[in-house]
Amino acid sequence: MTKTLRTVLLLSLFLLMAGKQAVAAEVNTYNGIQEEQIEDIDAIDYGDIDVIGMLGDRYYIEFEGLFRFYLPRILISEGLHIFSSTQSAMESEIFMDEYFVENPGEYIQGESGPVTYRMVRMDGTPVFLDMSLSKHVLWFWLAGFLTLLIFGRLAGKYNAGIGRDTAPRGSGMNFAEVLIIYLRDEVVKPNIGANYKKFTPYLLSCFFMILFMNLFGLAPWGQTPTADISVTAALAITTFLIVNFNGTKDYWRHIFAMPGIPKFMLIVMIPVEILGLFTKPFALAIRLFANMLSGKMLILSMLGMIFLFAGLYGASLGLFSAVLWVPFTLFIYALKVFAAFLQAYIFTMFSALFIGMAMEEHGHHDEENIMVLPATSH
Amino acid sequence: MEFADMAHLAAGLGAGIVLLGAGLGIGMIGKGAMDAMARQPEASGEVRTAMLIAAGLIEGAAFFALVICIILANT
Repeated sequence: MTKTLRTVLLLSLFLLMAGKQAVAAEVNTYNGIQEEQIEDIDAIDYGDIDVIGMLGDRYYIEFEGLFRFYLPRILISEGLHIFSSTQSAMESEIFMDEYFVENPGEYIQGESGPVTYRMVRMDGTPVFLDMSLSKHVLWFWLAGFLTLLIFGRLAGKYNAGIGRDTAPRGSGMNFAEVLIIYLRDEVVKPNIGANYKKFTPYLLSCFFMILFMNLFGLAPWGQTPTADISVTAALAITTFLIVNFNGTKDYWRHIFAMPGIPKFMLIVMIPVEILGLFTKPFALAIRLFANMLSGKMLILSMLGMIFLFAGLYGASLGLFSAVLWVPFTLFIYALKVFAAFLQAYIFTMFSALFIGMAMEEHGHHDEENIMVLPATSH
Repeated sequence: MEFADMAHLAAGLGAGIVLLGAGLGIGMIGKGAMDAMARQPEASGEVRTAMLIAAGLIEGAAFFALVICIILANT
């Protein structure tokens, strides 16, 4: 298996190298010039695949090949301004796309649409807040609604007694119960401890919402809202608030007056502990964001290879190389399904862990430290 | 070499070095967890949780370095 894979990789690498030289040779013979002349790699047409554009946030929902639906723009700048689309915001002559403000005279009504989608006031007043809906926000809401719908109905069923007095009914209920019981018994309970019931609803909603968001990106035309740093940051801030509002006296004492260490060390310890307060949710947000973004980028890059090959060697070889890249993409895709579950699980587990750390009661464990630490530091 | 070019070079090299460190760390955790699970299969659940926590902490440290690389790459 590894041998086959290596052969395939080497072959593709060789093809890539050979292709570059072939292009260079072609140019030489065409121009009839003897001297070495390698064509600029940027001049080759790779076809139109806008990877970054597909990953970024946009102010419209696009079902590629079918239709594009523009989302309303809501801007707060000396009062509330609501427009049905970016285009209509530009036609209002109050707001303009940033690009056209920097390049005056290029905007022709009806011909040039928005370029950067960043709206600025034409009279120079700063835009206080851009509350516009974007595609990531919509998919985020969809995940929330889906979670509410599915698990609200499920909770109703359990309240009615199905699943508690009898066995759970239907495949959906069974599947959900497997996940819920696993999370409650293996993640929430061991990490938080006795007070786990208070936080189970939040952690479960977190898990399922992130799971839905991760899986959306794998559906046709779907988007992964978790591949947007603002979405993951919002989730991490929620965890941060819950952790700090439930922190016990011990938790704060360990930050501002770590017991059992020499007093002068507190000068170093307090800033480090305060930094640690913020790095935990930061890492939480970045982890989810980076994992989701990289998976998506990998899939698009893999598929983009077909177009790159088609641009380099012609359409027929591009089509032929699909035999190689489509299985690769499928493999990454399967990996991403796994990663969707794993990352949702890790986010939930770390949230539970941080809550558990904040709720921990230390008891006489501190006195032990006072006894032990000076002895070991000498 | 321009300043921006040097920043791009530093970002690429930095990302590579970060991956070396993080890969080594996570690999060692994986090795330790695998050993522990093989020795005591009944404790594999707890080992897995502890492994994920440690791997997550390493990942967090690696992400901080990668963020610096991203900032460098955008200069």
